[in-house]
Amino acid sequence: MAQSHDQHQDNHHDGQHHAVPYSEHVRTLVALLFLTAITVVVSVFGAALSTLSVFTALFIATVKVVVVAYYFMHLKYEKKIYSGLVLLVGVLFVALSVLTALEYLNR
Amino acid sequence: MAHTGLVLPNSGHNRDAEANKFGMWLFLFTELLLFGGLFIVYMVYRMLNHEAFLLSSFELNVVLGTVNTTVLLVSSMTIAMSVSAIQMGQAKRSALLLWITFALAGVFLVIKYFEWSAKIHHGLFPGMDYYNNLPAGERLFFFLYYVMTGLHALHIIIGMVIIVFAIRQTNNGTLTAEKHSLTENAGLYWHLVDLIWIYLFPLFYLIH
Repeated sequence: MAQSHDQHQDNHHDGQHHAVPYSEHVRTLVALLFLTAITVVVSVFGAALSTLSVFTALFIATVKVVVVAYYFMHLKYEKKIYSGLVLLVGVLFVALSVLTALEYLNR
Repeated sequence: MAHTGLVLPNSGHNRDAEANKFGMWLFLFTELLLFGGLFIVYMVYRMLNHEAFLLSSFELNVVLGTVNTTVLLVSSMTIAMSVSAIQMGQAKRSALLLWITFALAGVFLVIKYFEWSAKIHHGLFPGMDYYNNLPAGERLFFFLYYVMTGLHALHIIIGMVIIVFAIRQTNNGTLTAEKHSLTENAGLYWHLVDLIWIYLFPLFYLIH
């Protein structure tokens, strides 16, 4: 695994790109559809557990977003700086949301 | 302008695939913060109007929302495959996969059109009678629904235009296995549109 990663880095220097096999895209889609199905089922049948369903839905959505970014958007194969920047923007957004929510809750 | 005969070392047709991609990612970050701001607005108004938001979310059609989510996820896969295809030198297949992505984007917009027009038919649009007589909290929910899904739909339309350019350049041979930044960036943009919908869908349709 480590070796194939190094090989890939070399390819990048030549301006060549590692083509992700179609089968990996299909597996990614299956995972995403499965997660979507869980969210809908939790929401439709777990409506009584309102607080639980909010956090579950947002958690599953975040898992889906990570899957899309990692596989479809090639973060898996990119230099680490791309993942680092995505994480930075994510943390920034969560920090802003939490600060806003805390302000509201402490009114 | 007279030709001076001076040729700068870097004055050719420069191409830097890495810089193209990096620039696209930086643009995507600004998009994330644009929608991020709207999500924070949604969060605050939801906290202030908890009951009204719950009640209003039942008005949206979960089946159509789920179908549209599936359509976007499949289109994300087809454009990712299109990038793989051009990288492997299969230009025809790459163009075909872009067409499929384009068609799925069209399906998404048609479904969105039916959803919106059903609401508007009942007067549920800012400025119409039914909307104006709703309690303030429910008006807010639908206002945010139209603004956020509307802005998202605009991104779908822009994505379709970019895809058409990518198809044209694939067919006339401009995009190749060695040089395919446009396909790759169209893919990145399309995945972003998908990412935003992944949050919009539960927040408006599912969180009861």
